[in-house]
Amino acid sequence: MNSVFSNKKAICIFMIPTMLIFVVIVFVPILISSYYSLLDWNGVGAGKFIGLQNYVEMFTSPRALNSIKNSCLFALVSIFIQLPISLFLALILANGVKGEGFYRTVYFIPVLISTVVIAQLWSKIYNADYGLLNQLLKAIGLGSLAQDWLGQTETALGASFVPTLWQYVGYHMLLMYASAKSISKDVIEAARIDGATSTRIAFSIMIPLMKPMLKVCLIFSLIGSFKVFDLVYVLTKGGPFFTTEVPSTLMYTTIFDTYRYGYGSAISVFIIVECLVFTLLINKFFKTED
Amino acid sequence: MKKVLKGTACVLLALSLMASVTACSKGSNSSTTSGTSGGKITLTIWDQSVGETDPTAKLLPEVVKEWNEKHPNVQVTRNGTSGEQYKTKIKTALAANEAPDVFYGMGGGSFMQPYIVGGNCLVLDDYLSQDTLSKLRPGMIEGCKVNGKIYTLPCYTHIANLYVNTYLFDKAGAKVPTNYEELLDAVKKLKAAGITPAVLGEKDRWPGMYWFDIIAMRQAGNAACIEAFKDPKKFDSPDFIEAARKLQELAKAGLFNSSMFSMSYDEMLNAYNNEQGAMMFQANWVNAGIEDSSSKTKGHVKVVVFPVFSDGKGKASEFFGGGQDGFYFSANTTSPKDAVEFLTYLSEQLGTRGYLAGAGLPCWDTTGLDTSSLSELDKTDAKLLDTATSFITWWDNIFPAESAETHKNLIAELLANKITPQDFCKQMAQLKPTELAF
Repeated sequence: MNSVFSNKKAICIFMIPTMLIFVVIVFVPILISSYYSLLDWNGVGAGKFIGLQNYVEMFTSPRALNSIKNSCLFALVSIFIQLPISLFLALILANGVKGEGFYRTVYFIPVLISTVVIAQLWSKIYNADYGLLNQLLKAIGLGSLAQDWLGQTETALGASFVPTLWQYVGYHMLLMYASAKSISKDVIEAARIDGATSTRIAFSIMIPLMKPMLKVCLIFSLIGSFKVFDLVYVLTKGGPFFTTEVPSTLMYTTIFDTYRYGYGSAISVFIIVECLVFTLLINKFFKTED
Repeated sequence: MKKVLKGTACVLLALSLMASVTACSKGSNSSTTSGTSGGKITLTIWDQSVGETDPTAKLLPEVVKEWNEKHPNVQVTRNGTSGEQYKTKIKTALAANEAPDVFYGMGGGSFMQPYIVGGNCLVLDDYLSQDTLSKLRPGMIEGCKVNGKIYTLPCYTHIANLYVNTYLFDKAGAKVPTNYEELLDAVKKLKAAGITPAVLGEKDRWPGMYWFDIIAMRQAGNAACIEAFKDPKKFDSPDFIEAARKLQELAKAGLFNSSMFSMSYDEMLNAYNNEQGAMMFQANWVNAGIEDSSSKTKGHVKVVVFPVFSDGKGKASEFFGGGQDGFYFSANTTSPKDAVEFLTYLSEQLGTRGYLAGAGLPCWDTTGLDTSSLSELDKTDAKLLDTATSFITWWDNIFPAESAETHKNLIAELLANKITPQDFCKQMAQLKPTELAF
């Protein structure tokens, strides 16, 4: 094994199959999409070359800017609500509670369920006439709060945050839990002997030592919220009057409802670049911290 | 031992990867136009008739089976996907040049326009016989022509009418409306009785479009609407502004359910069939669901023409609908002659037997057919079809795709009271003109 790892030629040869698949499935379509984004094309026949006009349109169209704003809101909510909840649960479970294994499984189950199923589930919960949420509110006397959660412009975006957060809390929790568990027990014992409370241990010892994993979770969470599509599309199709529209649903409706493959490709390239930029920024941020 | 395990694991992984790659390519092959193999031809057909209450869903596989039995040399395989997903699927396949031989084309119009103009669809003129054309109802073949060439044979046609639940109307003491004032009055009485006057599933936006379009046709008349399609600036005129105002007035009076923006088309049908609303304005494809034995509405619902406005130019014989639903051909099909023969057989069978099963209104000659099995709703619809003097098909099939989307979005804003009728018409005037010939 060691001889294979140290032999540079062997490394190259073993990397080639994966690189090939990666280039063909990831790079080539991105390049082709970038080319299409420079065209005015309806999907069939020849496209007209229009240069960067699609991008200009994207950054000046109120609807596209609104969708970018919504995806940023998704990102903020993911980072400041979903990750803290996951961290909290991970730390409690890592400290050892009764039924640790059981809770771990239960929190992870939403991750395993298909996003479309979750979207259908929540759209039924939010249903204005017979939904679980409204029935619950009426039952506990808060019937005045019962409303058309997904049909009103004021509540639709907030309502669509909940399933997105709920689904992946378990995923991030599991990653952080693994990281927390890998911290040497000696350090924690030493801290306890010195008289540190659990909270103090959590903030001053565990979280700093979990930084690499937190960085990974941050990147996944951020990119996931920039790319979110299926949940939003099935819940609201982009929402009452575009209030829940995100770049990916805008791209989908642009291509399949209005036959504008060029503009849709421009949006897809934008999403890719956006994710890349933020990944690099996060990497840089965490590096300077060290 | 560990080395052997590792070795076998690697080999298994490689084999499974290879298998999945070949399986993927095999899968995509079967959906492209298949060729001949020793004189036997396989044709593929894609359609969207998979709904539970859709009579075509049962009929189409039957017709395909009968054809396969009668024609051992030309075998047909069928692939059905439901509505909205079907649209995406067929558009993707056409763009990738992997379309099946025969596919359903959603009423034609601007849905099919890019593909016809782009040369993806086969022209049928040379393959159709006079005999076939003579069996079609007069005027039906016109809707299948683009630039004078025939691209499809129609199966059914659909018209949109007002479905009124007479049981709920009687409960509220309301009269089935025949004009605008009676419609407003019915809304008032139904609301007072605690009944939702009409159900609307506006999440998908086209059900709301139906309401505006018929009101515009009643207010301005079909001829004016057709003029406006050709020159959208004509939408900014008193008749259309009045139509928009009327729709907004109806919405403010509480005609629709308050949950309309989060209710999808399917949920609307469910709600109506469960008697949660007294009226619905839809096309005759809803008949089967309303008359289904599991629906509360069985026997309670009457279909009437949309109210005629006394201050409007539209007449009761002007209908919304009448487009031809049919199947189109991929230009890549390997055997046009056999494919057209199959299409003629399919369209005629669906057009006649489908009509009897309540799937749609006939495009083919139906004299001599036993119509006793038709439901009351279907019989009424057929009678109404006979009285029609003018048809305008669904407006989102008339406008070019992007304008169709804007049209639907504007109507949604009108219903939500977000824009004024004047502003609505000003924005309608900026739509692109239709690319279809009128």
